[in-house]
Amino acid sequence: MKRSLLTFIILLLLPSILLAEIQGDSPKYKHQREEMVLKQIRRRGISDEKVLNAMAQVPRHFFVPKKLSYKAYSDHPLPIGEGQTISQPYIVALMTQYLGLTGSERVLEIGTGSGYQAAILSKTTKEVYTIEIRKKLYERTSKLLKSHDYKNIITRHGDGYFGWNGAAPFDCIMITAAVNHIPPPLLKQLKNKGKLILPLGNPFSYQNLVLVTKRDDDYTVKQIIGVLFVPLTGYALDKK
Amino acid sequence: MIFLAVFFLSLSSITFEVLLIRVFSISQWNHLSFMVISIALFGFAASGTLLSILDTRKKGWEKRFSSKGSVAFFIILYTVTAITSFTVLNIIPLDYFRLPFEPIQAFYLLSVYILLSLPFFLTGLITSIAYSFLPEKTGFVYFASMAGSAFGAIIPIPLLPLFGEGRLIILTTLIPLVLIPFVRLRMPSSQSERNDMQKACSRNKHLAFIASGLVIAFISVILISLKGGAIIQVKPSPYKAFSQILQFPHARVIESVSSIRGRINNIKSPYIRFAPGLSLKFTGMLPNQWAIFKDGDEQFTFYNLSHQKDASFSKSTLPFLGYLLSFNPEHVLLLQHGGGSGIPCVLASGARKITIVEQNPQIARAIRIHYSLPVVNQNPRAFLARSNKRFNVIHVENWGTSIPGAATLNQEHLFTIEAFTEYLKHLTEQGILIISRKLLLPPADSLRLWATAYSSLRSLEIKNPESHIALLRNWDTFTLIVSKQSFQKTSIIKDFARNQNFDLVFLQGITKETANRFNIFDEPYHFLEIQRISHAYRSSTEKAFFNDYLLDVSPQTDIRPFPNRFIKWSRLKEIYKSKGSRLYTLFMSGEIVVAVVFFEALIISILLLVLPLFTIPKKEKKIFSHILYFLSVGAGFMFVELFFIKKYILIFGDPVISFTVVISGILIFSSIGGFFSQRLGHKSLRYTLIVLFVFLILIFLGFDTIVHRILGFSGIFQYIVPILLLMPLGFLVGFPFPLGMRYLLKSPGQRAHAWTANGCASVLTSILAAQIALSIGINAIIAFAASAYFLAFLVTVHGFRGSKNPFSFCSRHFQGFFKLL
Repeated sequence: MKRSLLTFIILLLLPSILLAEIQGDSPKYKHQREEMVLKQIRRRGISDEKVLNAMAQVPRHFFVPKKLSYKAYSDHPLPIGEGQTISQPYIVALMTQYLGLTGSERVLEIGTGSGYQAAILSKTTKEVYTIEIRKKLYERTSKLLKSHDYKNIITRHGDGYFGWNGAAPFDCIMITAAVNHIPPPLLKQLKNKGKLILPLGNPFSYQNLVLVTKRDDDYTVKQIIGVLFVPLTGYALDKK
Repeated sequence: MIFLAVFFLSLSSITFEVLLIRVFSISQWNHLSFMVISIALFGFAASGTLLSILDTRKKGWEKRFSSKGSVAFFIILYTVTAITSFTVLNIIPLDYFRLPFEPIQAFYLLSVYILLSLPFFLTGLITSIAYSFLPEKTGFVYFASMAGSAFGAIIPIPLLPLFGEGRLIILTTLIPLVLIPFVRLRMPSSQSERNDMQKACSRNKHLAFIASGLVIAFISVILISLKGGAIIQVKPSPYKAFSQILQFPHARVIESVSSIRGRINNIKSPYIRFAPGLSLKFTGMLPNQWAIFKDGDEQFTFYNLSHQKDASFSKSTLPFLGYLLSFNPEHVLLLQHGGGSGIPCVLASGARKITIVEQNPQIARAIRIHYSLPVVNQNPRAFLARSNKRFNVIHVENWGTSIPGAATLNQEHLFTIEAFTEYLKHLTEQGILIISRKLLLPPADSLRLWATAYSSLRSLEIKNPESHIALLRNWDTFTLIVSKQSFQKTSIIKDFARNQNFDLVFLQGITKETANRFNIFDEPYHFLEIQRISHAYRSSTEKAFFNDYLLDVSPQTDIRPFPNRFIKWSRLKEIYKSKGSRLYTLFMSGEIVVAVVFFEALIISILLLVLPLFTIPKKEKKIFSHILYFLSVGAGFMFVELFFIKKYILIFGDPVISFTVVISGILIFSSIGGFFSQRLGHKSLRYTLIVLFVFLILIFLGFDTIVHRILGFSGIFQYIVPILLLMPLGFLVGFPFPLGMRYLLKSPGQRAHAWTANGCASVLTSILAAQIALSIGINAIIAFAASAYFLAFLVTVHGFRGSKNPFSFCSRHFQGFFKLL
C-alpha cells in the first residue's frame, strides 16, 4: 500500500519537476547565460552595460521551442518554426547596442518573432511597440510576454510595413525581417536624428547590420559589419 | 519477361529519379538534387555487390532469380518501396537547416537516404541478374535498360503539368506492375517442364501476385485522393520566399503549375513589395504587386500600373540611371531573369519601343497578359545571336536566389565575356548597358562584373575601357553601367547619386571621399578593390590580382560560366574563419555540399567495390582489370553525357531542357548501339574504343565553333541539329559496356561486380564533372571522357592477356595515363 502511494506521489510530481527543469530559470540556465554574455558578447566588443545586463537577465530559453531549449545559449540562431528564427545572441546584443538607448526612448520593432528581441529592448528602454504579421506567432508570443510580465511591451498583430501611426514618431525602429528596401512609411515615422536598424543577409549564414540615421532630408546608412566579417575584409585590405 | 522487366523498371526508376530531383528542388534547394544521384548510386551499386557476394556462396542464383516468379516478386517490392519511401520523405519532418542543432535530423536524413535507395537497389538487381543470366545477349539487355531509361527521362515532360510531382511519382512507380498479369506461364508440354514451371510460379503464387498488385493500386488511389492528395503533395521549404509570403494574411495561391522546368506558383498578396535598389529619398507609395515564384523561390514581381505615374517609383531606383543617360531611348531591350522591377523602369523612361526577352514560357505569357507588352519567349543569348537590331538601352535583370551560395552551381551565360561582347555589339553608338545585382561583402560580384565589362570592351579594341564604366551602390545592391561611348557628362551620374543618396563605386576621376558618403562602410571596400583591379588591368597584372585575391572573382567565359561561384578551395580555411569558424555556414554553398556528397559517394563506392573481394576465392582474384575497365567505361559514358548537357545549356538557355534532350538522346542512341553490338565479335571492342577516343578528341578541339553556329539557328533547327549531333557519339558509347560484359567476363559473379563498378563510376563522375566544370571549364570534361575510354582500351590490350599479375600493366601505364590527364 505504502509503495503504491509512493509511486502515485512520484508520478503526480514528476511532470511538474520536469516542467520546472525545462521552463523555469534554473541555476543551470543562469550559468549558461552568464557564459553567453561573457564569451559570445562581452569578448566580442559589446560594452554597453545596459545591454549586457539585459542579456544576462532575460531567460533566452523561454523564447525557443522546448525541444531546443538546451541549445538556447549557443552561439547561433535557432529555428522557432514556420521558417522563422530567433537571432544569434550576439546579433541581438549588437543591434540593441547600436541604437544607443538611454532608457527614455520609444522603440518600434517590426517582426516580433519569438519576442526575445522585444524582451531585451524592454530592459533597456521606456516603451517597446512591436508588430507581428503572422497571427499564430503574434498570439503565441503575446501570451508569452504577458505571462512573464513584460509590461512595457505593447504588441500588435498587423502589417509592419506601415509602422504604427498612432504611436509615432519613434526614436528608434528595428526591423528584424528580411527586406529588399526600407519601407518609406517607416522612415516617415522616424524622429529627426532617429535611428533605424536592420540585419542583412541570411540568419543561418552571416549577418551584418545596416543603421539608418535620419538627418533632415538626408539619410546616411552605416554598414556595421558583423564581427565575423572583420578578418576577411581586413585581409582583403592588407593585400593592397 | 526479364527484358521487359529491365525495360519497365529502368523506365520507372529513371522517372522516379527525375521527379525526386524536382521534389528536392522544391522542398529543399537545387544543389541538394545531387543527393538524389548519390542515393541512386547506393541502390544500383549495392545490388551488384550483393549478387557478387551471393555468387561465392550459392551457385546458380542467376537462374533462380531470373524466373518469372522472382521477377514478379522484385517488381512488386520495387513498387512498394518506391511509394513508401516517397510518402515517408514527404511526411518526415526533415529540415536541412536544423541538422546542426537537432541530432534527430541526422536520423531522419539517414532513414530517407536508405529508404529512397531501395527502389534503385531493386532495379539494379533485376538488370544485374539479366546481364548475369543472359551473357550471350548483353546487347539486348543493354538495349532494354537504356531504351527504358530514355523513355523514363521523357515521361515527366508531358505528364508533370497534368498530375504534379506527388501524383506522378505514385502513378509512374505503378508502371512495372503491368507485367504482373503476364507472369503466368504457358501450359507445359511435358512432365519435366511442368515440374520446372511449378517451381517457378504456381497458380497460387500467380494469384497472390495479382492480388498484391491490386492492393498496391488501391493504396495508391487512396494516397492520391485522400484529403485531396495532401499526404503526397510536395511543399516548398518553409525558408523560401513563397512559404514566407503564404504566412501573411490574405495571401492566396491563384495558380500552381508543375513542369519539368520547375513549379510555378502565382500568388496574390497585399504584402508583396519588391523594389530592390530603391532610394531612401523616395517618400511615395509603391504600386500594388503580385508575384510568381519558381520552386518556391526566384520571385518575379508584377506591378499594377494603371497610369504611367504608377511606375515613377522606379525613377528612384539605381538602374534608372542608365535610362537617364540614354534620355528618352528609342528602343530598349530588357533581358529578364527573375526580379520584375526592370519593367516599371522601362515604362517610366518613356521608351518608344520595348523588347522583353523572357526564357520561361509561363512568366513570358504572364508578362504579355499583365502589361500588354510584346515578349520574346527565347533564350536571351540565342535571341542576340539571331538579331541584328541595335538598341539604345540593354537592361539585364537578374538578382539571384534568396540565399547566397545556393546558386553556386548554376550555369548562366548572361554574365560571361562573350555575353557582354554581344550586348555591346547590339548597342547603338550612344547605347547603354545596365546590370544590377545584390551587393556582396567582401566584394565579389561587383569586381567580377567590372572585370568582365573591362575585358569585353578591350576585346572590342575600345581604347581606355575605364572611361566607359560606372558603378554605383546603395546599401544592398549595385548597378553597373557600361556605355558604348566614353562618359562625357559625368555630372548626370554624380548628381543622380547625390540626389538619391547613392554612392559612386567607380567612375573615372572620383576620389575615395565620394565613394562612401551615404551608405557608409568602415572603409570603401568596393571602391578600393576596383581601384586595385583597374590598376592591375592597366599594368597587365590582372592574372596576379585574381590569383592573389581571396575569392575567385575572375571574369567568366562561356567555357566556365558560373557567375555565382566565388570559392577558392586553396583558401577555404580563411573563408571558414571569416564566417566565424562555424561549420554549418559553409553548407550554404552548393559547391561545398556537392564536395561532401562526392566524398560520401566515394566511401560508399569503395565499400561496395571492396566488400565482394573478401568473399572471392583466391583463384578467381583476377578482378582488378575487370573493375578498372568498367570503372573507365562508366566514367567515360557519364563524362560524355555531362559535357553535352553543359554545352547545350548555352543553346537552349535552360538546364532542364538541355538535361532532357541530352539524356533522352544519348540513351536512345546508345541503346541502339547496344543492340547492334550484339552482332559484333570480341575484336571489335578495341576498335570501338579507339574510334571513340579519336571522336572525343575531335569534339574537344572543335565543338565550341559548332555550338556558336547552332546558337544562330532559328526554329526547329535549333533542336534538330543538337539532337543529330548526339547520334554518332551516343551510338558509339553504347558498345563498350555490353561488349565488355560479353567478352571480358566469365562468371555471373564477375558480371554483378562489373555492374557495381559501372554504377559507382557513373555517379562519382557525375559529381566530379560538376567540380571540373567549375574549376577548369566545361571543355575539360570531354578530355576526361577521352582519357577514361583510352584507359579502358589499355585495359583491354594488357589487362586480359592472362598475365599472372593483373597489376603489372597498371604500373607500366598509369604514369603515362596521368600525364595524359
